[in-house]
Amino acid sequence: MKISRLLLALLAVLALIAGACGDDDDSGTASGDGATEAPDGPAIRIGAQDFGESAILAEIYGQALEANGYVVEQVSVGGFRDVLLAAYDNGEVNFSPEYAASMLEFLNDGAGEATGDADETVELLQAELEPMGLVALRPSPAVDTNAFVVTQATSDELGITKLSDLPADGAGLTLGAPQDCETNPFCLPGLERVYGVDLSGDFVPLESSLVAESLAGDAVQVGVLFSTSGRIADEGWVLLEDDMGMLAADNVTPVVSQELLDAYGQELLDLIDEISAAIDTETLTELNKRYDIDREDPDDIAASFLEDAGLATES
Amino acid sequence: MIQDALDFLTDSRSWWGRNGLVNLTWNHVRLSGAAVLAAVLVAIPPAVYLGHIRRGGIVAVGLVNLSRALPTFAVIAFVFPLSLQYGFGLGFWPTFVALFLLALPPIFVNAYTGVSEIGRDVVDAARAMGMREHEVLRRVELPAAMPLLVTGIRVSAVQVVATTTLGALVGFRCLGTPILQAIATRNDGQLIVAALLVAALSLLTEAVFGVLGSRLTPWARNRAVETKARVQHAA
Amino acid sequence: MFANGPDSFIWWDWVDRNTDKIWARTIEHLQLTGSSVAIGFVIAMAMAMISLRWRRAYGPLAAVAGGLYSIPSLALFGFLVPITGLGFRTAQIALVSYTLLILLRNIVAGIDAVPASVIEAANGMGYEPWRRFIAVDLRLATPAIVGGLRVATVTVIGLVTVAALVGSGGYGTFIEDGLSRARGFSTPIVVGGALSIAMAVLFDAAFVLLQRAVTPWARRGAAGGAHP
Repeated sequence: MKISRLLLALLAVLALIAGACGDDDDSGTASGDGATEAPDGPAIRIGAQDFGESAILAEIYGQALEANGYVVEQVSVGGFRDVLLAAYDNGEVNFSPEYAASMLEFLNDGAGEATGDADETVELLQAELEPMGLVALRPSPAVDTNAFVVTQATSDELGITKLSDLPADGAGLTLGAPQDCETNPFCLPGLERVYGVDLSGDFVPLESSLVAESLAGDAVQVGVLFSTSGRIADEGWVLLEDDMGMLAADNVTPVVSQELLDAYGQELLDLIDEISAAIDTETLTELNKRYDIDREDPDDIAASFLEDAGLATES
Repeated sequence: MIQDALDFLTDSRSWWGRNGLVNLTWNHVRLSGAAVLAAVLVAIPPAVYLGHIRRGGIVAVGLVNLSRALPTFAVIAFVFPLSLQYGFGLGFWPTFVALFLLALPPIFVNAYTGVSEIGRDVVDAARAMGMREHEVLRRVELPAAMPLLVTGIRVSAVQVVATTTLGALVGFRCLGTPILQAIATRNDGQLIVAALLVAALSLLTEAVFGVLGSRLTPWARNRAVETKARVQHAA
Repeated sequence: MFANGPDSFIWWDWVDRNTDKIWARTIEHLQLTGSSVAIGFVIAMAMAMISLRWRRAYGPLAAVAGGLYSIPSLALFGFLVPITGLGFRTAQIALVSYTLLILLRNIVAGIDAVPASVIEAANGMGYEPWRRFIAVDLRLATPAIVGGLRVATVTVIGLVTVAALVGSGGYGTFIEDGLSRARGFSTPIVVGGALSIAMAVLFDAAFVLLQRAVTPWARRGAAGGAHP
């Protein structure tokens, strides 16, 4: 039948197009060209999520590594950790600046294993990562955890400065937090478990960047932000103290593929550790402020940080 | 995954309360309806008038086509800071503006085409019979344009209902909210339930307007009109 | 308002600093749009031909395409991510699904609209069925088909902006960037939005020209004319 022949022809065309487009993804392999001291091995593909801090951290590691001769690619992995994990799987990403406690709890389905101790948490994280062919490196002293924030007005009105001050029944407070708050052990379940506070009555799920806007616009009374958000200080908001230790060690922790370590070995490891050690919470907050409020770009922010830290050139 | 879906469906908290499916669906329908209604009110009078005098078609259609090229997400994102600045709050207004612009093209174009493409001979005959202009419009052109008009509103409504989910990105509590939540918490069951709900809502909208269309135009057994409607609808 | 700065409508400084990023995002956006529409067209064409050969198949095929079309984009992207991984491929699959309904309907409607008399005449003139199909039916259906491609392309360009949320790149990345700063940063949003509009308008115009070029007998009617 003539039509079926045409159909076959179409299928062939389809296969060709699909095949051609399959090579559209970045698949760079370094062969040492470009920088004379470049070690031979795969390009370092850094996955950054779609919030400012992730991009800044990715640029910090990326630029420092580049200064030491590695070939680096920045890959954007959108807004969900799922995409990042899938990217590790496909080899499209082999490095990412992650957060120890949060990543652990994401992988163990909220089992609540993370503790306030960074090394302990990273060890547990490593156990989860190993079957995936990934390695958690030494955590940075910089910590970015969930921050429960209220406006100065709300704090004064209700007399709350600590999480334990929150009324047990939520008292009609509207909570604005990222979408995973109901299952994140450092969000609603944590409040309930450690403080006996139930804020689920009026919970508005929001993109993390919008929580600050909602708080500012009084659409929510309690907002869950990043503790390193530059906005908190800028707006004069009150970060409710975690006086009973619900939050765990959310240190910035680079997660790399085993393959990458095998290719480059100790030298890469030491370099990454050096970079991680140079970042602390205060600095990170300052860098975030420059992104959020001063509208600077992540690469510029990273560049100036590295210069100040003396990491902008080969170490 | 099926287990997740069943868990989600049987949990009463999924249905009731401010983040419950009932409230979210209501919000969703409310916003979609408002956007389509606004588009109908704004687009149909000028479209019908221009169609009647058979002028300005190309310019009007061109302009409206431009608004069709607006990516909804971009519009929402753009209106969002303005909305905050002027005290209009988060979710509703940015999404409303974007959906309104989305709903305009099919309604406007179909209304204009419907009225302007009626045979001149029919219109001339009506005038010869002594009808005044507005009577020609009301008793001849509008009824004849009905099928296309309703098709336009239908196409619009279905698209708007599906696109309203984007409102969740700026904090509007609609059926997009559980979708985003489900993606963030890797709950495929919840994702499927919410997605199917939106799809069902879309299809329901399509069906309702389909019925409405045939009710309003019982004479439209005309093949040519159907074909044209089908092809117009295909856009 | 007077000095051009970060809070202006467009901060030109940002544009200067980011020209290579703008260029990269443009390429991504084009690649995603082009490949998705192309693949969608091939599949839709196959579906259309199956429907023309076996009339009964049209209903189910259109229903499947329609069903895919009615799934909200966010949900489809989110659902595919754990299965198909990184943004580009995932987005491509979802986008192809969205083009199917529009293209299938337009192709079938276009071919259906070819008058029986013309087909008979062509057959009478000695055309073999297959050659007649290509030389006559498809050619006369071109306005409808190009119309469908027009709409599909413009739709996809808009959807690609949403796909950025799952890491597919494209102009949506700028929009996300703008949303993520305090009080919203309008420059990347405006740049991302304006560029996607420009791309859509350019493609739209290109398709109009294509249609004129392919149908020199200037056919207007059910499929052409005021058809958007």
